[in-house]
Amino acid sequence: MGALGKPIILMVGMYLFLKFVLPNIPGSAPLPSSLIFLYLLLTASGIVIYETLSGESKDAFWGPMQRFLTGENVGGLQALRYGVLILFPLLVGWQTYGSTAVSDLPPTESRTVHPAPPGEYTGLSNPVPKTPDNIMQGKGFYAAFCSPCHGGNFDGKGPAARGFIPAPANFADPTTIAMLQESYLFWRIKKGGVGLPIEGTPWKSAMPRWEVELPDEWIWKIIMGEYDGAHQSPRTWE
Amino acid sequence: MKPANRVMKQVLRGGVAMVVATIIGGTSLSVAQESVSVRATLMTGGVPIDDPNAAAWSSAPPATFPMSPQVHWPNRIQEVTVKDVSVRALHDGKQVAFLLEYADPTQDPDDAAALEFMVGDKKAHFAHGQPMLQVEGGPVNIWFWKNKTNKAADMTAKGFGTLKPQEHQDVTAKGVYSNGSWKVVFSRNLSTGHAEEDVQITPGQFISIAFAVWDGRKDGAGELVEKGSQKAVSSWWYFRADAPPDYSGYMYAAIAAALALGFQFVLIRKLKKGQ
Ligand code: HEC
Repeated sequence: MGALGKPIILMVGMYLFLKFVLPNIPGSAPLPSSLIFLYLLLTASGIVIYETLSGESKDAFWGPMQRFLTGENVGGLQALRYGVLILFPLLVGWQTYGSTAVSDLPPTESRTVHPAPPGEYTGLSNPVPKTPDNIMQGKGFYAAFCSPCHGGNFDGKGPAARGFIPAPANFADPTTIAMLQESYLFWRIKKGGVGLPIEGTPWKSAMPRWEVELPDEWIWKIIMGEYDGAHQSPRTWE
Repeated sequence: MKPANRVMKQVLRGGVAMVVATIIGGTSLSVAQESVSVRATLMTGGVPIDDPNAAAWSSAPPATFPMSPQVHWPNRIQEVTVKDVSVRALHDGKQVAFLLEYADPTQDPDDAAALEFMVGDKKAHFAHGQPMLQVEGGPVNIWFWKNKTNKAADMTAKGFGTLKPQEHQDVTAKGVYSNGSWKVVFSRNLSTGHAEEDVQITPGQFISIAFAVWDGRKDGAGELVEKGSQKAVSSWWYFRADAPPDYSGYMYAAIAAALALGFQFVLIRKLKKGQ
């Protein structure tokens, strides 16, 4: 490995990491390419500083670079040298164009799927006894009121779901009601999409505000029927 | 010390890899993603405000949006005729026109369609701007066309039961039915004098838009099936009137490229002298 081999591997490795590995780490997102470019520049300058610290590696690093740039004794590589000298300004121009161009994409709105409930909806427990009868009733209400959106199979794929964004929640998915307490569901079902705080983008949600149509007791029964039908159980702590 | 030739080859390989990496990085930035919005293409010479079949429409890219039966609030409906709408838009810097197209097997007197917009900076719930509990909402502006009159009504709503025609009627509409589908053109000036109730369209800015359609068919008993809140609805989507072309990006790019070229030139001069 020459003095130049390692820096090159490092740069390519860094690029691959930023581009393909980092976005897959939970909690992170794909980096905009202008940021990737900046990080690569920083890495490159770090390498240059490191390599030029000691006199000997400095020579091994800069010597060939200098000869290539000035075109002395490069022989058959002359054509490539011209290629690099032409490509570099073009790339700089391209990057500049990319970073000043106005985006054609609509604004991205992030939506918090499970925002904190108002205080009075934490820690409530289901007052309805968990009997087969009540669960059955709950499932009946669910079929009548909820299944058009959330689906007869509790999978979020009801006949009316297709036009709604965000999509109706899929209760069979372990990241919805299985992560939530009954108390939280009671809040969401009563107040619906319009009850969400601003980080939940309430203006987009089709989830109805059921408190204007259904008595509390029905809602508690629906919660039971929903968990039972989706084969999930409520999160219990505290 | 390695033979200079080998080191040189490594430099080149690395250089090529870097260039390729930058190109990949740069490309992913500039490739436009499938857009989730309606664009009003900028045109010259007057938008076709009352002609759904005008040739100019072919220059506007269509966007398709899924529709749901309105099951969000009473009175609900569980099944509707129209499953998707296709939307195009054109503007000329003064007027904007939308072309709404959808399949409907029968032409009925009670067929109708509407566009809905958020007004101003406040968010509004897509269902008629109904009140939100933790967020202060704004009104919605609704452009409503019905086949009976083949005209538009310019309306405002802020919550259920508040929908009413505005004092100032700024919108025109015209529908043409053929071969099992409706084409309806809605149009208006980009801006009006009534910013509290009308959407104001500034080229380059994204605005929230939603759609509704009523198939005016009747059931066996002669009753209308889709009427009032019983209709096909969409979610909020984005609309944007194209801004006039801006070439400053090319200028900045040219300056940057020239600077890079100058830098190379000076560097090589310096290196040659130093030897
Ligand atoms: C008009 C369609 C529609 C109907 C009908 C509907 N929902 Fe929803 N629901 C939604 C949508 C859309 C969401 C996702 C957006 C949100 O969280 O507000 C949702 C979210 C939810 C959530 C939150 C899940 C989570 O992971 O945060 C619960 C709980 C819920 N619905 C229960 C119900 C129940 C129970 C009924 C019947 C009484 C019902 N929904 C009826 C559309 C609907």
